[in-house]
Amino acid sequence: MSLKPKRVDFSQTWDILQQTVKGVITLADVPRSTWNDRFTDVYSLCVAYPEPLADRLYDETKHFLDDHVSELLLGVSKQGDASLLQAYHSAWTEYSQGIDYLHQLYLYLNQQHIKKQKTTEAEIIYGASCAAAADYQEQMEIGELGLDIWKRKMITPLKESLVSLLLAGIHGDRLGKARHATTDVICGVIQSFVRVEEYKKKGQLDLYQQIFEEPFLEDSGNFYAREASELLQKSDVSYYMEQVSWRFSQEELRCQKFLHSSSAPKVRQCCQEKMVAAHLSWLHTEADVMIENERRRDLSFLYPLLRPLPSGLAPLIRKLTAHITQQGLRAIGTLQGDNVHTQFVESMLDVHTKYYELIKAVFKGDQAFISALDKACSAVVNHQPASRQPARAAELLAKYCDSLLKKSSRGTTEGDVEEKLARSITVFKYVDDKDVFQKFYARMLAKRLIHQQSQSMDAEEAMIDRLKQACGYEFTNKLHRMFTDMSVSADLNTKFSSNLREREGQGQKQLGIGFGVYVLQAGAWPLGLPPAPGPFHVPQQLEQSIQAFETFYHAQFSGRKLTWLHPLCQGELKLNYLKRPYLVTVQTYQMALLLLFEQCDTLPCKEAAMSLGVSQEQLEKHVVSLIDCKLLKKSPDGELGEETTLMLNLDYSNKRTKFRVTAALQREGPQDAETTHRSVDHDRKLYLQAAIVRIMKSRKLLRHNQLVQEVLGQSKITFAPSIGMIKKCIEALIDKQYIERTANSSDEYSYVA
Amino acid sequence: MAESVQDNVERGDGDNVKTENFFTLKKWNAVAMWSWDVECDTCAICRVQVMDACLRCQAESKKDFYGKQDCVVVWGECNHSFHYCCMSLWVKQNNRCPLCQQEWSIQRMGK
Repeated sequence: MSLKPKRVDFSQTWDILQQTVKGVITLADVPRSTWNDRFTDVYSLCVAYPEPLADRLYDETKHFLDDHVSELLLGVSKQGDASLLQAYHSAWTEYSQGIDYLHQLYLYLNQQHIKKQKTTEAEIIYGASCAAAADYQEQMEIGELGLDIWKRKMITPLKESLVSLLLAGIHGDRLGKARHATTDVICGVIQSFVRVEEYKKKGQLDLYQQIFEEPFLEDSGNFYAREASELLQKSDVSYYMEQVSWRFSQEELRCQKFLHSSSAPKVRQCCQEKMVAAHLSWLHTEADVMIENERRRDLSFLYPLLRPLPSGLAPLIRKLTAHITQQGLRAIGTLQGDNVHTQFVESMLDVHTKYYELIKAVFKGDQAFISALDKACSAVVNHQPASRQPARAAELLAKYCDSLLKKSSRGTTEGDVEEKLARSITVFKYVDDKDVFQKFYARMLAKRLIHQQSQSMDAEEAMIDRLKQACGYEFTNKLHRMFTDMSVSADLNTKFSSNLREREGQGQKQLGIGFGVYVLQAGAWPLGLPPAPGPFHVPQQLEQSIQAFETFYHAQFSGRKLTWLHPLCQGELKLNYLKRPYLVTVQTYQMALLLLFEQCDTLPCKEAAMSLGVSQEQLEKHVVSLIDCKLLKKSPDGELGEETTLMLNLDYSNKRTKFRVTAALQREGPQDAETTHRSVDHDRKLYLQAAIVRIMKSRKLLRHNQLVQEVLGQSKITFAPSIGMIKKCIEALIDKQYIERTANSSDEYSYVA
Repeated sequence: MAESVQDNVERGDGDNVKTENFFTLKKWNAVAMWSWDVECDTCAICRVQVMDACLRCQAESKKDFYGKQDCVVVWGECNHSFHYCCMSLWVKQNNRCPLCQQEWSIQRMGK
């Protein structure tokens, strides 16, 4: 076979070719050799000599296809409405397949002759030149040509009847009356609308959208609007939502089954509009009741329905916030008894857990709902029962931690405690007055450390780490320093006793008592100590220990002075004067008082106070604690006075041979909490003033409201100051001439350098 | 007196001699507080208490992990005391005590 261009007789070749074309387009049997020959014919026509006959071939083919499709149309429309879809579908199946093959047969024409003339992609995207746009009569590849002819000759005349039949079919499917056979047909017909323009580079879906999608959406809209109103009339909200959800999922499946994928979001939107958005206010009212009664099932239906709507969830979130707040306040409103702190934290956690779970299960953990929970919890935790009363959360939470970290007999396991402490951080994060918490926590920690009441140092440390994570280094700085002191002291004690042993070898006497000491760094410990009136006379029995340790300490460090905190020291005394020996743990003052009776049997209070070097008032406190536990007797009975005589109770007996006398100062009074609050208040004022000065220094000039906003922003991490307090601080700073009001405006301040 | 108590304790530990004293001190758990032995609690240079770290150290200690006492106190011959950090910056400009204007020389350092 020669590829050389030669003279070709068109009519003769076309006659033969036409036979094969017909065979191809009707999917008749075309032998391979024939196919090959015709393929060559197309080639020879295209390269014919002296003039290529491609254009003529194109025109004839077009003509042929026109006729063919018209014939098909006749055949299809003859069928009548009942089987129109079916007929169209089978014609299309055959034709689309055939045109595909035909396209192959004309490959040479397509590639060599037509490609050259086609507008390039760039021209289409950037706007074809006017000439090209106007003259749309350009030649198309044979496959495209076939489809175009189909569109014009077949779809255009039939579209109304086709579409209405399709809609009827889909409607049937919605009502559950569709037969499987029609499903394929409907799907195929709809696809033909897409396929027929698929070759286009731009606006591929125009035809589909125009002739089918638009009427389909309108029809669906009507259907669902009707469906919604019917449902509304005969059912309650639960059933309604259930049905709507079911409809949605069905419709989605239907989209997949019948439609082009681009239609799915439009259909969904259409459904939402008719079934949800149209009844939004009704759903919102119903939602209030659902939340009120925590109807999880209903809410989990409602959530996906409302979520896609722009303002769908907002009322739900508002209602949920209010509901949680209300539930929370109810949970913590009626607490009473000894363990209010435990009740408070645990009921708060219960509320939090409950709604957290609910949000996770029902609202898929939606962030907007989580922040509603946060908002509600923070409102509950910081709720002030009366306007003047401070919120007690900080104090209660600190007490809760204390009760967990303290040694206790309540058989809680370490893992238990760990878990509870970890959970308490959840509440901590909601507390506005973190500084108040810190004050209380530090005091309680100090007590635990000094009196060796900590359950476990690991637990203590883990808790501080958690607080640091939540609030930063500065917040736990002092707590860390307390810890460091403890380990430094442990070191010191070991060194001290080895030092003593060395000196014992050199002939020095031993102390004779078990001596241990905590050396605390001043300033790091929140120890509100009463000022000691006059020097306390340390019992002689202790003097040697004190001196030995001080000598040792000053050799270790320089430039330091030690102050003995006697109210915090404890001694263990063995009582030898009773029938049985008892071991009693007492505070240093009480110990000194008892030791006085080494030399005398009776002692007037006045004299005792003198020998100890303490005031009468202080002495009485200690005496009372010793009389209360029956170690001492007084005469005469009644109020203690300077003249009251004290004596040892020589008939003392106790079931236990080892016990502890409660120290007078260790009892916690309500004024303790009050002092803490007052000192927090003081710290806050300083903090606010410092913040104001910092802000003003960098801004130089600022309006009142802006200043207040910035101060609020800075202090947010540790506490929420009241506007009144900020105002007072601003005034104080004006008085101190750090800042001044500007001359031209009454609510503007400037920084005084 | 103190010695006789001690003697008793030692004999008491032997446990076969009956003690004559009413009380025997077995154990003492003491608590003491240390502070710099200074006349003025505040560092005149940074206006922070000498027991706390100086302003600079406080700002930097955010990186530091535990509240180590790195910021010590220094005493001059004039017996005035400051944070060591503050004073070492100060003497770069003016080698006199900020409080009494005497020539600055270090008497001792806190440890």
